[in-house]
Amino acid sequence: MAGGMRLEAAGKTPDLVAVKGGEAEAMFRRGIAALGGMRAFVKPNSKVVIKPNIGWDVPPERAGNTNPKLIAEIIKQCKESGAKEVTVFDHTCDNWSRCYRTSGIEAAVREAGGTMAPGHAPAYYQEVKLGTGKSLTSVKEHEAILAADVFINVPILKSHSSTRLTIAMKNLMGNVWDRGYWHANDLHQCIADYAGYRKPTLNVVDAYAVMKRNGPRGVSVSDVVTMKAQLLSTDIVAIDAAGAKLLGLDPSDVRHIELAAARGVGTMELDKLAIERISL
Amino acid sequence: MKKFPHPLKIARLIVATAFGLTLTLIFLVPGSAISTVLSPILTPLQLVPSIVRLTGGAVIVLAGLIPVLLLTILMGRVYCSTVCPLGILQDLVIRFRRQFPGRRWFRYNTPPPLFHYSVFSLTVVLALSGSFLLLNLLEPFSTYGRVVSTVGGPMAVALNNAAAFLLNRLGLPLLVHLPWRVADLVAITIPALVIVAIGAMAFWRGRLFCNTLCPAGALLGILSRVSIFRITVDHERCNECGHCERVCKAECIHSASKTVDFAACVGCFNCIDACPTVGLSFEPIWHRDPRTRTNDGRRSVLMTLIAPVTGRLAVDSTIAPRALTYDESRRLAVAPPGAASTERFTGLCTACHLCVSACPTQVLYPSVLEYGLEGLFQPRMNYTASYCNFDCTVCGDVCPTGALQALPQAEKKLTQLGKAYFVREDCIVVTKKTDCGACSEHCPTKAVKMIPEGKVLLPVVTDTLCIGCGACEHACPTKPRKAIYVIPSAVHGKAQKPDTTPVQQGKQELEEFPF
Repeated sequence: MAGGMRLEAAGKTPDLVAVKGGEAEAMFRRGIAALGGMRAFVKPNSKVVIKPNIGWDVPPERAGNTNPKLIAEIIKQCKESGAKEVTVFDHTCDNWSRCYRTSGIEAAVREAGGTMAPGHAPAYYQEVKLGTGKSLTSVKEHEAILAADVFINVPILKSHSSTRLTIAMKNLMGNVWDRGYWHANDLHQCIADYAGYRKPTLNVVDAYAVMKRNGPRGVSVSDVVTMKAQLLSTDIVAIDAAGAKLLGLDPSDVRHIELAAARGVGTMELDKLAIERISL
Repeated sequence: MKKFPHPLKIARLIVATAFGLTLTLIFLVPGSAISTVLSPILTPLQLVPSIVRLTGGAVIVLAGLIPVLLLTILMGRVYCSTVCPLGILQDLVIRFRRQFPGRRWFRYNTPPPLFHYSVFSLTVVLALSGSFLLLNLLEPFSTYGRVVSTVGGPMAVALNNAAAFLLNRLGLPLLVHLPWRVADLVAITIPALVIVAIGAMAFWRGRLFCNTLCPAGALLGILSRVSIFRITVDHERCNECGHCERVCKAECIHSASKTVDFAACVGCFNCIDACPTVGLSFEPIWHRDPRTRTNDGRRSVLMTLIAPVTGRLAVDSTIAPRALTYDESRRLAVAPPGAASTERFTGLCTACHLCVSACPTQVLYPSVLEYGLEGLFQPRMNYTASYCNFDCTVCGDVCPTGALQALPQAEKKLTQLGKAYFVREDCIVVTKKTDCGACSEHCPTKAVKMIPEGKVLLPVVTDTLCIGCGACEHACPTKPRKAIYVIPSAVHGKAQKPDTTPVQQGKQELEEFPF
């Protein structure tokens, strides 16, 4: 990480880093450097799990899944920081093996030296109690999440027909087996409940290509704009609030962002945060 | 010392092993790529599926059909002992039977060809009149495939998943879990009983099924009456010891009269080795000594056309969209893509279940009565189990009979199998007043859109965009009835192309951060 010395030398680590104007890998290199570098999150010999959005059987240009180049870059940096193993998975919506393949993520992960784990059968999930959830009190959570020391949440920013948008908190639905329960029992509340329980070590929002309508699956490439942006934060509510703004929505229009902020998972008031803005 | 088997028998065993294994594999592992890769090579050689496909105008199957027919004209029904999976299975039963002292040998007892041809005629007449019921119950490839798919499939999955579980526990994630597909009890038990019955026939009297009921056996039997190479008895050498007769699983050698009913012979070549005097050989007809003969006497029967007993057994259901309740729609089947119409499909499908096995999302299930009795076990879309992958065309690609046409991907994406129907009063958004939208999320064409109603978003269906893939129905979390479901289209339609006007004109790159 040659760029690691650049911006953060001034002092305090920012709450949120927003990068624009570069390729996905370049934006990540600058963004993570601003947060103190990958070594601030990944200790030597640790087990890392990366959770992209791989929900749909669509190719990268459709922006239905996280950019495979970004995933590859993150894996590379985890490895450089001494990670023992890097596992990538999603509980996909469309057929899992087709999603893994068509998204380009399987190939990218393999090339970068990570491991793709399956998530298409209940055998890969274990029951955990949430304790504090309002609508959601227990979930079956993926074994890779349960086994990991470091959890990096890497969603793609998209419009979403049921939750208006899908960013970091919504992406965590792919950590669990029974999503139908969430849909049937106050979806927004369940998303906020789970976000209150499982806090990613780091969130990276891919906004390089952004599906502005017909999400989350999209219908054609005409739904997508090349925004060339990326967000990084440890605060999942803040990053979702910033992502909402990128899509032209007010964070308070998205109920799960409000609910999560209200229960103190993070802050949605962006003007109270230290935001580092980087243009490449 | 045991003498080395006749080269033809060795060849038979090698070819039969290869076909037996590969034809089992394409049915065994649900959603496996093996099916997609091997099926186009293997299935054109399957007689009945290829003839059915030829009637649909797919001349490509001639590539498989012509060699099979030429082979039969050349050397009789060797097909029945090498290419036919049901024949190979029966041979395994017969091998097992030999372990029983009382069942070790056969004796001459060729079933009357009149019976076989009558069954065959009835099968053909029924099929031509539109009911594939009898054909599908007797056709050997489909009879075999059905059992491997519906009975063997879940067993393979169980074994795989148990092994995957154990290996995973040991920290060796070498196997992944496979999805369950357990068909309706009727769709499991009847095919299983049919195969048990055929097995019992084989245990009792060898290849009895092949010479009484099998339509492929009947057809090839007719051809083998004119075949060039035949099992020939040398009347000089033969001392009527009966060794050949007792190893003949087709029960078609009459030792006392030194004759072979070659139309019933399945070309196993066991008799040649059994003869202690080298009195049997496989020779072209022009080599035949005038004193040797095979029995061609039974050529009398041909095509006793049975009066159309037919009449379609189930009433054609003309589907009136919107008039069906959820429960009613469950009793009708959505035909898979490429079927074109339920009528066309049920009149061409032999219910072999190759598509059921090959489908990557495992949405295809054997029907029971959803298509009517005549469509028994023909595959239908089961949207409770899964949904049709938008970009996938595997079922049409592997179909050996052409009942499912191989649709180009672009055409498949616009092929309307049915139409989604939304039941407002059952929807969670209405009953609980909370957002859900699982249906719209999964919809690949956005035929299901969410529109604001108060503070929540409510689904709305645009009929013209819907292709009936069942993604919405599968994802819908309401219980016990889905609040959105696909009403089958008896005749598949064509959906409109979705609007592809760019979402944003002009510069796309972010200029300023909006925060």
